[in-house]
Amino acid sequence: MRIARTVLLLFGCLAPLLLNLAGHTQTPQAARGVIRLKVRYKSAAGMKDLPRKRFFLIKGSLEQNQALTDTIKQTQFTSRQCYYRSHGASDALLKWLDEKDCESIYCHEIEDKYISGSEAVPEFKAAYDQALKELKTPEVARRWLPNYLPAELRDGYYKTRQQTIDALTKQAETATGKPVMSIMTDRKGTAYLTDLDPGVYTISNLVGSETEKSSILWICEREVKATDLYIAMKRPFMLSNEKDPKVKCEVIERPLPACK
Amino acid sequence: MTPLCYFHMQLSIAYKAPSSRRTPKIVALPARLEIIASLFLCFLLISFVSAQTRRRPRPTQPQPQTQAPRGSATKYSTFLHSSDKHKSLKCSDCHRVPTAWNAKRDFPDVADFPDHDACVRCHRQQFFTRQVIVGTGPSICTVCHVRAAPRENARFAFGAPNNSNQPTKPKQQWQFTNEFPHDKHQNAIAMLHRLRSVFSNHKLTDDKKPDYNNCSICHKTDDTPTLARVLPQPVPLPRPENYFKTMPHSHDACFDCHWKDLKPVSDDCGGCHKLAPAAFAPMTSPKRISAKFAHEGGKGEHILECTTCHINITRASTSRGLTPDVPIAACASCHKDSKKTTYPKAATIEEEFANNKKTGECTYCHTADVGKKKPPPSHDAAAQ
Repeated sequence: MRIARTVLLLFGCLAPLLLNLAGHTQTPQAARGVIRLKVRYKSAAGMKDLPRKRFFLIKGSLEQNQALTDTIKQTQFTSRQCYYRSHGASDALLKWLDEKDCESIYCHEIEDKYISGSEAVPEFKAAYDQALKELKTPEVARRWLPNYLPAELRDGYYKTRQQTIDALTKQAETATGKPVMSIMTDRKGTAYLTDLDPGVYTISNLVGSETEKSSILWICEREVKATDLYIAMKRPFMLSNEKDPKVKCEVIERPLPACK
Repeated sequence: MTPLCYFHMQLSIAYKAPSSRRTPKIVALPARLEIIASLFLCFLLISFVSAQTRRRPRPTQPQPQTQAPRGSATKYSTFLHSSDKHKSLKCSDCHRVPTAWNAKRDFPDVADFPDHDACVRCHRQQFFTRQVIVGTGPSICTVCHVRAAPRENARFAFGAPNNSNQPTKPKQQWQFTNEFPHDKHQNAIAMLHRLRSVFSNHKLTDDKKPDYNNCSICHKTDDTPTLARVLPQPVPLPRPENYFKTMPHSHDACFDCHWKDLKPVSDDCGGCHKLAPAAFAPMTSPKRISAKFAHEGGKGEHILECTTCHINITRASTSRGLTPDVPIAACASCHKDSKKTTYPKAATIEEEFANNKKTGECTYCHTADVGKKKPPPSHDAAAQ
């Protein structure tokens, strides 16, 4: 009887200790991977960084994502110029969009000089007049002017493009069973994909990114190993429209079409 | 007489007749009780029907919410959007979009509480309570008014920004969370190259500032005077908030684009605001742990693009759990001995490690509470 009691007492004392020990001896958190993406393209003016473009990280190799890559390659997209022209945009509006490589009118401020004066954009002027009629205050009317533009001129191009991208990411997620991560390049064409499971990934911009004269589509493959961010920063994954035997990449460059 | 009453009486009579023939003395008392009970039921029914008729809502009112729940008067001093009755209403049943905003905002907005009618049409009982006679005033008034008194007009400030000099509620609580797809907005405004004057009294960007991914449209340097600046502090504050950037705090930032047509539009409150399970204290800025980074500092050298250091921000698809985390490796891309030729005045991570050996603290970048701890492996890696 006494022995049983002692065993019970000992077990009572040791159990929390053992449990605590088990907690500490669990496998440490798996090491994670990082990709520092650097995107450049060759143009008439030399090598340039590709700024403000979204890239997508899809689980699996190019072979594993064959069906998806085929769909990406087949997806044709209207150029920005052609889209806006087909919706009756004025030359002044096209110039305004081109100045900052804008996909929609939200991408930079509509200053007074674009409402009246030599650089005025007729669409902005009409929207401003309507806004002023409703909102009364000139400053509020200028700031809220986008609300009074026709939807197809305001962000129609961005939305149509986004619909195509959404459909492709959905297809990728269904096929791989993993969420698609997206990041945007900075002004130097750099972006980071952090906290990744080691493995092979497909990296693509899904829809061709417009440069001065052409649209460039990247569909590339990258093996991610567990690494520290600082090391990844020193060894970027370079994408460009030039042939690089070290990079497993399919680059499709199409000249921008002439618009009717 | 109501049909139900008549039915009860018929039952009593039908029951009484045969039984009285057989055992008249025993049945007489229950039969009487039956009649009394029927009469009592009739009385109750008539009272109920007449009470319901009196409280029927006016036909012009929106959604009939016939009767406010009963409860203690003090219960009504807090307005809950989450009550079943309130949840069944549309936002526009009470809130006008926009209200008369001119006195309180410089843009059209829901700038004030709903009118009395919005509350009284259901809460008549709580407005005309015994508290009025006692003199304390109905507590329901204090949902909007500073004091519950018949001639007291002063109200608390509604929403933000508060340009009206109205007092704010002693305990500010939010009942809604904000849904905000951060990545979509970043896509749209990434090219903006100058600050908009409306968002700040802060100076416009100069030519040295980055012109891509300009987050400054929504996040500006906090130059409002804080206690840390106004009052002498015996101990440095652990979270010097004005080192950091602010977040948008009014509808103005949204209505620029979402006033009309672009969904969610200004009168679709639920497009952005989702009812939280419980009221919570609003977060004015993300939780700061330790870092002391001055965006406008670096002796004028912090001119890099925001995403150069905030490397994970472009992947965030919501604002939930969004943290402005900056890895030490991003800092060390400039603050490193090997970069001294480019940034001769910059403090370096190697120098800080050397200081740490002498003092046991890292105080150039960190507040004391964290600065005394052992540097994590990421710092060692960045210093190598």
